[in-house]
Amino acid sequence: MPGVSIRGLTQRYGDLAAVENLSLEVAPGELVALLGPSGCGKTTTLRLVAGFLTPESGEIWVGDRCLSSPASVVPPERRRMAMIFQSYALWPHMTVAQNVAYGLRFKGGMNRADRARRITEMLRVVQLAGYDQRYPGELSGGQQQRVAVARALVVEPEILLLDEPLSNLDANLREEMRFEIRRLHEAFAITTLYVTHDQAEAMVISDRIAVLERGRVVQTGTADEVFGQPRTRFVAEFIGRTNLLDGVAVATDTVAIGRLQLRVAGGGLTPGTRVAVSIRPHAIALGEPTDRPTPGANVLQGTVRRASFLGDSVDYEIAVADSDIVLRVVTPVGVPRRRAGEVVGLAVDAAACVTLAEASA
Amino acid sequence: MRVGSPGLDRSAVVWVGAALALVALMALPLGWLVALSVSGERGITLDHYRAVLSDVALRKAVWNTLVLAFWVGLGSIAIGAPLAWLTARTDVPARRTIRTLVLASFVTPPFLGAFAWVMLAGPNAGLLNKMWRGVTGADEALLNIFSMPGLIFVVTLYTFPYVYIMIANTLALIASDLEEAASILGASRLAVALTVTLPMVLPALVSGFILAVLQALALFGSPAILALPAGFHTITTQIWSFFHFPPKTEMAAAFSIPLLLATALLLLVQKRILGRRGYAAIGGKGGQRRAIALGRWRWPAFAGCLVVMACSIFLPYGILAKAALSRAWAQPLTWDNLTLANFSFTFFEYGATHDAIVNTLELGVATATIGAGLVALLAYITTRRLVRGHQLIGFLALAPVVIPGVVLAVALFIAYTRPPLVLYGTLAILFIAYLTKEMPVGYAQSDATFRGIPPELEDAGRILGAGRLRILRDVTAPLARSGIIAAWCFIFIGVIRELSASIILFTPATKVMSVVIFDLKEEGQFGAIAVLGLVMLVLTFATVAIVQAALGRDVLGVRE
Repeated sequence: MPGVSIRGLTQRYGDLAAVENLSLEVAPGELVALLGPSGCGKTTTLRLVAGFLTPESGEIWVGDRCLSSPASVVPPERRRMAMIFQSYALWPHMTVAQNVAYGLRFKGGMNRADRARRITEMLRVVQLAGYDQRYPGELSGGQQQRVAVARALVVEPEILLLDEPLSNLDANLREEMRFEIRRLHEAFAITTLYVTHDQAEAMVISDRIAVLERGRVVQTGTADEVFGQPRTRFVAEFIGRTNLLDGVAVATDTVAIGRLQLRVAGGGLTPGTRVAVSIRPHAIALGEPTDRPTPGANVLQGTVRRASFLGDSVDYEIAVADSDIVLRVVTPVGVPRRRAGEVVGLAVDAAACVTLAEASA
Repeated sequence: MRVGSPGLDRSAVVWVGAALALVALMALPLGWLVALSVSGERGITLDHYRAVLSDVALRKAVWNTLVLAFWVGLGSIAIGAPLAWLTARTDVPARRTIRTLVLASFVTPPFLGAFAWVMLAGPNAGLLNKMWRGVTGADEALLNIFSMPGLIFVVTLYTFPYVYIMIANTLALIASDLEEAASILGASRLAVALTVTLPMVLPALVSGFILAVLQALALFGSPAILALPAGFHTITTQIWSFFHFPPKTEMAAAFSIPLLLATALLLLVQKRILGRRGYAAIGGKGGQRRAIALGRWRWPAFAGCLVVMACSIFLPYGILAKAALSRAWAQPLTWDNLTLANFSFTFFEYGATHDAIVNTLELGVATATIGAGLVALLAYITTRRLVRGHQLIGFLALAPVVIPGVVLAVALFIAYTRPPLVLYGTLAILFIAYLTKEMPVGYAQSDATFRGIPPELEDAGRILGAGRLRILRDVTAPLARSGIIAAWCFIFIGVIRELSASIILFTPATKVMSVVIFDLKEEGQFGAIAVLGLVMLVLTFATVAIVQAALGRDVLGVRE
C-alpha cells in the first residue's frame, strides 16, 4: 500500500492561485483531512491528485510512481484511485448494483461470479443488502451516500479521495456517517485524502489534519496538535472558537496587552516584537475576585457582561478590568452561575496562552 | 485549465473540423454577400446601396416592414402578456388547455395561418365576409385580410407566443411571497402589480417585444401571401422579387445587409436586457405561487382567451380541414361537396406535391440527424471545455440566429452558384441553409442538456478506470439521450416548415412542401394546399409529442 507525496503543487485560475506551492505527505494507510474554508484550494488539490487537472508546477507521487507533473499526467482512469463526490455522482440510469459494479469492469482477473460476490459483500458492509436492484433516485440521501462509498471501496483502490462527502446530509446522519467512515477506514486501511470544511468532521475522521489557507498548507498535525497548539491566527480561529489578543512581548515568556501582562506557553519570544495570543474559552476558569492565585496561572479581574445558558455549558462575555479586552469564557454547568454585572476573577494557565505567528503565513 | 493528457492533437482536429464547417455554413456565404453588394464593373462601389436607398419603392418596402414589425411587437405584447399572466397566476378556467393551444400556435407555420385567413377573410370569398353579408345583407366585405392591418393581425396571431413564453417563464420564477411582502406593507393590488410584478417582468416584456419584432422582420410567407395581393412589399418580399427574371443579385445583396445589421443590433439589445434578468429568479426557487382569484372576471377573461384561440387555432384549422375535404372550399360542407379527391390528388396525381413531400422528409431527417449530432458534439466540447477557445465555438454555433432566412438564402445563392462549389439546384444547398438556420435552436437545446449532466458523473467513472470515450458511451450518452432527441425534433420541426430561405434556393427538381404550397396558391389549388398544410401540421404535432415525451415537459419550457 503506497502513500501519497504532494510536492510544491501550484494551480492558477487566471491570476488567482487556487493552490500555491502546496506540499503534503500522506503515509501509507493514513487518513489525512484537508481542512479549510471554501475557496482555500482543497477541492482543487483533490482534483489534481485525481488527475482531472494538470498542475502548473509541482509533482504528485504515489509510492514510486510520479502521477502528475506539468509535463505529463497519468489520466484518472489509470491511477488506481477511487473518489467519493460531494454530490455522490451516482449514475441515475443505473441500479445500485450496476453503480457499484461499474469499477470492476476495468479490473481484470475476475469472473462474473467473483464480481457478484464482491458486490453483494460490499453492499452488506455498507448496510445496503437487498437494495441492489433499486435506482439511486429511489434511495434516501444517507443510502445514496452508502452506495457512493461502496462504489469507491469495491475496486480496492490504492488511494481513496473524498470531497466533502457528508455535506449534503442532515446533521444527525452526518454525525453517524463520520463514525461509519472512520470504521470503514480502520477496516480497509486505504491511504485516504479527505476534503472538508467542517473541523469537527476532520477531527473525528482523520489521523492527521492539514489546514489549508489560500492554497497553502499552514499547519499539519493530529487533531490535538492543531487544536491545542495552533501556529497561526488563522488556524486558531478556524478550528474551534478562541479569544485572540494582540500584544507585544516584554520578556521571553510574557506578553503585554495594554496594561495587562500575560505569561504564555513555551517562551523564546523576542522582547519588543508584536505577538498574538490565543486562549480557548474553556481554558479560562471563573472564580471569586478575591481568590488567591495558583502558581503558574495568570489572574485577572473582570465584569460579566452577558451570560447565556446553552444547556450543556454556560457562555460568558467578560470585560477585563483595566483594559478594553472582552473575553469569551465557557464553563460547564456545574460551576456556580454568574449573572451580568457580577465582578469575577479569571484564572488562565500560562500553558493555555498560545502565542501565534503575527501574520498568517 | 488543461484537461487530462496534453490535448493539442485532439484540439487541432476539432478546430479544423469546426473551422471548415464554419466556412461552408457562414463565412463563405456572408463574405460573398458583402462582396457582391459592393462590387461594380470597375472594382468596389457603393452604387448598389445608393440605388437601393434612392429607390422610392424600396424605401416604401422598408417603411412597410417597420410598420409591420412595430405593430406586431405591440400586438404580441397586448395578447401574449395578459395570456401569460392569466395562465400562470390566476384561476382562469382551462389554464392547461390554453397553454397547449398557445403551444399549437407557436408551432403552426405562419404561412399556413395566412392561407387559412385568406379563406376566412378574403374580401370576396372569405367565409367570415360571406356570413357577414348573409346576416346583414350588406354588399361590402366586413374584413379585408389583404391589407396592412390584416397582415399585422395574422402575423401577430403566430408571433405572440414568443412574448407569452418570456412572460410565463419569468412569472413562474417570481414567488408569491415577493408580492405578499408588498401587500403586508400596505400596497394595494394595483400598487403591487405596478411596483413589484411589473418591474420584475419588464425585462422579459421588452425582450419579448424585440423577439416579436425580429420574427416580423424576417418573415417572408405571410407578407408574400397577404401584402403582395394588396399591392405592397416588405423587405423580405422585395429581396425575393429581385430574383425574378432578370435577377438583380447585387441589389438583393445590398438590400440584405441592412436587414442583417438591424437583426444583429436588436438581438444585442435583447441580450443586454436579458443578461440583467437574473434578479427575477432570486428567491424564486421553492417559493410558492398561489393562484390569484379573478372573481367575477374569471369567465370574461376566459372568453378573451377563447377569442385569441379562435383566431389563431380553431378558425384557421377548421377552414383548412374544410378545404381539404370539400370539392369547393367556399361552399357549405354538404354531402355533395364532401370528397377525398384532394388527398388523392395531392399524394398520387400531382407530381410536384409527391416529390415535395419526399424532399421535405429527406431534408428534415438528414438535417435533423446530422444537425443533432453536430450540435451535441459542439455542446459537449463547450460544456466540458475540451479545447481551448471553447467559448468561441459556442458563440459561433449561436451566431446564425442573427441571419434572417431570406438573407441567408441570398448569401448561399451567391456563394454556391459559382465555383468551387456549385450546389445551386441540388438538395445540398437547402440542407446547408437549414443546417445553418436551425443550428442555434439545436445548439441551445444541446447546451442545456449537457449542462444538466453534472461533470462529476463523468469524473466518477474516470477515476474508477473508464476512459473518456467509454464514459461517453456508458454515462453521458444515456443521460443526454432525451435531450438530443429533443434537439433532433426541434431541428426537424424547423426544417419542414421552412419557407423564407427555400423560396429563393429551390429549383423545379428540389421543391419542398412549403414552396409547393406557395406555388399552389398561384394556381388556386386551395384543396391541395389544405391537404399539404394538414400533413405539415400532423408531422409537426407528432414531433412535438415526441419532444414532450422525451423531455417530460412542454416545449414552451414553463415549469409547472
